Order: sequence, then C-alpha cells, then structure tokens
Amino acid sequence: MIDVHELRKHFRFYAKPSDRLREIVTRRPRHHVHPALDGVSFQVASGETLGILGRNGAGKSTLLKILTGVLLPDSGTFELTGRITGLLELGTGFDTNLTGDQNILANGLLLGMTRQEVEARRQAIIEFSELGSFIHEPLRTYSSGMVMRLAFAIGIHADPQCFVIDEALSVGDAHFQQKCMRRIRDFRAQGGSIIFVSHDLNAVKMLCDKVIVLEGGRAVFSGDPESGANYYNRLLAEETDLDGQAVQQAHYGSGEVEIEAHDLRGAQSEGSTLSSGERAHIDLTLHAHEDLDDVTLGLMIRDRFGQDIFGTNTWYLGQPLAMRAGERRRCRLEVDVWLAPGKYTLTLALHAGSDHTTRCYQWCDNLIRFDVAGIRGTQFGGLCRLPLSCTFEPLDPAEAAPRDQEGADAASQ
Amino acid sequence: MNASLLLHLTRQDLVDRYAGSILGAAWTFIMPLVNILIFTLIFSRIMGMRLGELGVELGQYTYSVYLVIGVLAWNLFANTLTRVTHVFHDKAPIIGKVNVSLLALPLYILLSELTIYAIANGFFIVFLLLIDFEFTWLWLLWPLILAVMLTLAYAIGLIFATLSVFIRDIKQFVGVLTQLWFWLTPIVYVITILPERWTALFVLNPFYHVVNALRDALMLQRVPAVAPMLALLLLALGLLVFGLWLGRRLERDIRDFL
Repeated sequence: MIDVHELRKHFRFYAKPSDRLREIVTRRPRHHVHPALDGVSFQVASGETLGILGRNGAGKSTLLKILTGVLLPDSGTFELTGRITGLLELGTGFDTNLTGDQNILANGLLLGMTRQEVEARRQAIIEFSELGSFIHEPLRTYSSGMVMRLAFAIGIHADPQCFVIDEALSVGDAHFQQKCMRRIRDFRAQGGSIIFVSHDLNAVKMLCDKVIVLEGGRAVFSGDPESGANYYNRLLAEETDLDGQAVQQAHYGSGEVEIEAHDLRGAQSEGSTLSSGERAHIDLTLHAHEDLDDVTLGLMIRDRFGQDIFGTNTWYLGQPLAMRAGERRRCRLEVDVWLAPGKYTLTLALHAGSDHTTRCYQWCDNLIRFDVAGIRGTQFGGLCRLPLSCTFEPLDPAEAAPRDQEGADAASQ
Repeated sequence: MNASLLLHLTRQDLVDRYAGSILGAAWTFIMPLVNILIFTLIFSRIMGMRLGELGVELGQYTYSVYLVIGVLAWNLFANTLTRVTHVFHDKAPIIGKVNVSLLALPLYILLSELTIYAIANGFFIVFLLLIDFEFTWLWLLWPLILAVMLTLAYAIGLIFATLSVFIRDIKQFVGVLTQLWFWLTPIVYVITILPERWTALFVLNPFYHVVNALRDALMLQRVPAVAPMLALLLLALGLLVFGLWLGRRLERDIRDFL
C-alpha cells in the first residue's frame, strides 16, 4: 500500500552551491524556486496499479525519487508498506565493469536485500533475465535492453511490496516486455502495489486501475484510466507544437479556390491527440474566388516518415462540388482513425477532376498535425487496422455441431 | 544500510583499488614502504641519537619502529579523513538512485582503510618478531587508541563531506591540511629536535596525543597519559554529534545538490 499525503517539493536554484550556506548564515534568500511538486496526494491500495501521466517536467520523476527515498520532500508525508523497488532509470547503482553476476549482488544489496536473500534468488534472477552466458560478461558489453532485463529481474525478485515502472521498460523487446507484464500482473495478484509512469497511453489504459495526471506539480486529474488518458490528451493538445518536427509545409496552386480555415479534433478528446479508433472531425472553410463547376477536395494522411498511409478525395467518393465566385462553404470530413499510435500529418488539396495533375487550385502539404495515442477497443499491430472477421468451422462434416460456430466481426466494435 | 551492504561496499572498495593492475594488492604496501625507507635513510642518523633519550634500545631498528608506528597510524587517519570528505561526490551515482543512509555510507571507507592498516601491521609484527621485540599487555590498548582516532577522523570527515557539497574548495583544503598536519606532528621526527617554546603548542594537536599514546603503548612499554586521551575522546564525540546533526540538518540539500 502506498499512501501519499500533500507532498511538496520546491527545488531551489542557487547561482553557486556555497550560496546555500551563505543563506543559512545570513538568513537572506539567495535562490529562485521551481515548484516540482505542489501538494500531491493519492493512495494505491494493495493489488492496485496507479498510472501517472504528465508532460515532461510535470513532476513525475521528482515524485518517484521521493517515494524511493532518493530525495526528501519539503513537506507532506508518505507511507509505504514493505520495500519499494523499480526500474527508476536503468540499472540502479550498476557497475559497468563488473559482470552481470556480480552486479546482481551489488544491486540486490543496494535495494536492501541481505546477502542470503540475494544468494537464494540468484538463480531465479539469472533465469528471468534470459541473459544466458552473458551473465558472466562485464556489464559494459550489454545492450541497453539487456541492462533493463537484468535490472527488472533483480527489482522484481527483491520481494517488494511496491513496484515502480517507468519508461525504462520500453527499452526491452516485445517478448521481454510481455514477460514483464505477466510478472507484473502476478505481482499485483499477490497484493503488490504498482506505480506505472509512461507516455504509452495504450499501456496505461490496459494496466492501470486508476490514473492521476500531473501538471505543474499538481494532480490536476484523478480518476479512471480512460478519462485520465483523454484528459492528458487534451493537455498535450493545448501545448503549442514547438518540438519542431521537421515536417515540410508547402502551399501552392492556382488559387481559384482556397482552404481558409482548418481544424482537426477527436470526437471525444476534443484535441489533436486522439485514440486509435476514435472519430476525427475535420472542419474546413473553402472560399472560391471564381466560378468553378468542378472542385474536388482531397486528403492524404502521412506518418512521421512522410509515408502516405491513406488518402482519398471527393471525386472518388462521388460527391462533386461546384462553387460560385465569392462563395464560402463549410465542409466536414469524418473519419474513424484506425491508425497505429504515432504522429501523423494531414495533407489537403483542391483540384479539378480525379487528381491534381490537370488543374490544381491549392495544395497544402502537411497542413494539420495530429497524434494517435492508445488504442480503443480491439488491439492490433502494424500501421493500421483493417476490418476483419474470423470463423471457425469443423473440417469433418460429421462433427458439424452448431456449438462450434463462433464468428466474430472484429470490425463491428 | 544493512551489514551485508556495508561489507560488500568495503570489499568492492578494496578490490576496485587496484583492479586490473599487475601488482594488485602489492601497491597497498609499496607506497608506505617507500615512505618508510626514505625517512629511515634520511632521518635515522639524526633521530637515532635523540631517540636514546626515550629510554628504549632496539639497536639499529629503534628509529624504524618509531617511524612505522607513526606513519601507518597517520596513513589510516589521513586517508579516512580525506576519503570520507570525498564520499558524497564519489558515491553520487548511488546516492542519486537508491535510498542509502548518507551518514552511515562512509563507514565502508573506515572498514576498508582499517583492513589495509591491519595488513600492514601484520607485516610490522612479523618484523618485530624477527628482531626479538618484547610484546607486553600494553598492546591491548591499541584498539582503544585506534577507536578514539577513527572516531575523530570520521567526525571531521563527515563535517567536511557535508560542507564540500556546498563548497568545492574543501577538497583542496583537506589536501593542504593533511600535508601541514603531517609535518606539524612528530611522526618522522622526534619532538625534542624542536625549540622548547614551540613544543607547548603541540598540546593543541590532537594527532600528537594519538601518536604519543600509540608509541607509549606499543614501543616504549609505558601506560599512555590518560587525560589527553580522555579529552580527545570527548572532542571526537562532540565533533561526531555535531557532524551527524549538521548532516541531518542539510540532508535534503545534499540530495538536491548531488
């Protein structure tokens, strides 16, 4: 069980470390303050998993460091039953010159195990980490995934009551991640409490019983994972997109008709970050400067590599459009975004006929950016989800009994 | 901080010291041995005559015994003090990731240095046996004197370690301090070579009393003066209490700054 009450941690920044001592002596402040945590409270019961969402700098790491005892809070209290371990950054106190085997002892002792406890679990740790003969090699020869495997194996075998999982887990390959997830579920079933910090909304929704969203050191949301993820999505959407992903935006065309305004929102998230499977509303305002009897609106969704994922236009949809000079027209496109989580852009175009090669009025490359985070409903892998159904039927007609008929239309969810 | 972790850190410290070097643990003795040889060559003639006044006669080895007792004890004291001072910087990667007690963490340095000291003295005792040295029950005082000395080193080290998080100069300062302190203590020389009006000031030097007590008990076969050692014990405990208080008071800042 984890019980956190009104934790506050304000980092004080000094021009130089000695100013801290001068401050104590002269009793005059010589720092500026950064509120990393500003009164955060929550409980995680035994057997429960709490997800913590928040943007970079929202206070997640500070919170975890306080819980693991690496930092001391300014005020507030927290109670933990038993030992807390986790994957807080890769390889807590690992010595890269020692072998994996030697690091098991060093790391285990640092996590608070006794020598006897480490020895008793050594074999289980080695087996779980699947390092094979690498366990006798120095740690510096390991890949980051191997370090993670060893770290996770030691952490989970330290018999913690509370376990912290952060982004480090994402270093492992799919096979090991699934193994970790199974182990985490076992751990939870045995009454352990888990704190899960991730930007993978999908995993958060799958794993967590409840979610808090941190923003500016405060828990701005606390509730069920689905709503928490949506709340977090909305937070992200408000963030001005300054990460400057080098996406080329280009506008060109003859300009007889133009896209005056554009907007893309998830039907539920109400922002430009949506769950896979959520309906996207794309609202456009078209403005014609001349009489045109043949206007086609086209769109293309591209992934972060600039690869075309999906596109179509109103010509193919059989919805021809004619506009008079000076006319403005509102247009709404609705599409269920069955795309794998990731970053995408939307390219829009206005032209005559089936494609822009005869007459192109306007072409707007990568006009809108949006993110897909987390999957709603049936899981899938790959780039996008295709409507798929499945039927099982007996091969031998003699055994044909109606009870074996099991069909599922996965697309109908 | 459980015992297993403390022992592991100690062992790792001893292993790491010369890991990968060809001579390995031998280096532990080469430095002090070279020191002792140099001092013996340079000073044994000059000091030998003065040592006669102490009333002990070990022939040509008198000065060597006098020197080794002082040098080994000083190395233990100074190394403990210096390394405890650096401990928070040296162990920052661990302190920043796992919950270890800041005030108990330096204990591994104490154990590690004590091990080196014990091994070196093992060789010293073999040497004493070879020259037919007479051992007395006064040798039982050895651990007591060491305990006082190490408490002092640990306490001063802890205070410096805490301050050095905020004032980086402490590290250099301790280097200078130990150099001066070494020469201001009669370790390689005999105090009687100094003008008498200076010797009164030596009473203020804590390590002077330590080295005197050690030589009294181990070499000169007389009971060390009790009063200075008691005063030293009180001083060491006082500094230790202050060091622990200071460390606890500033623990949050230390963890923030590292």
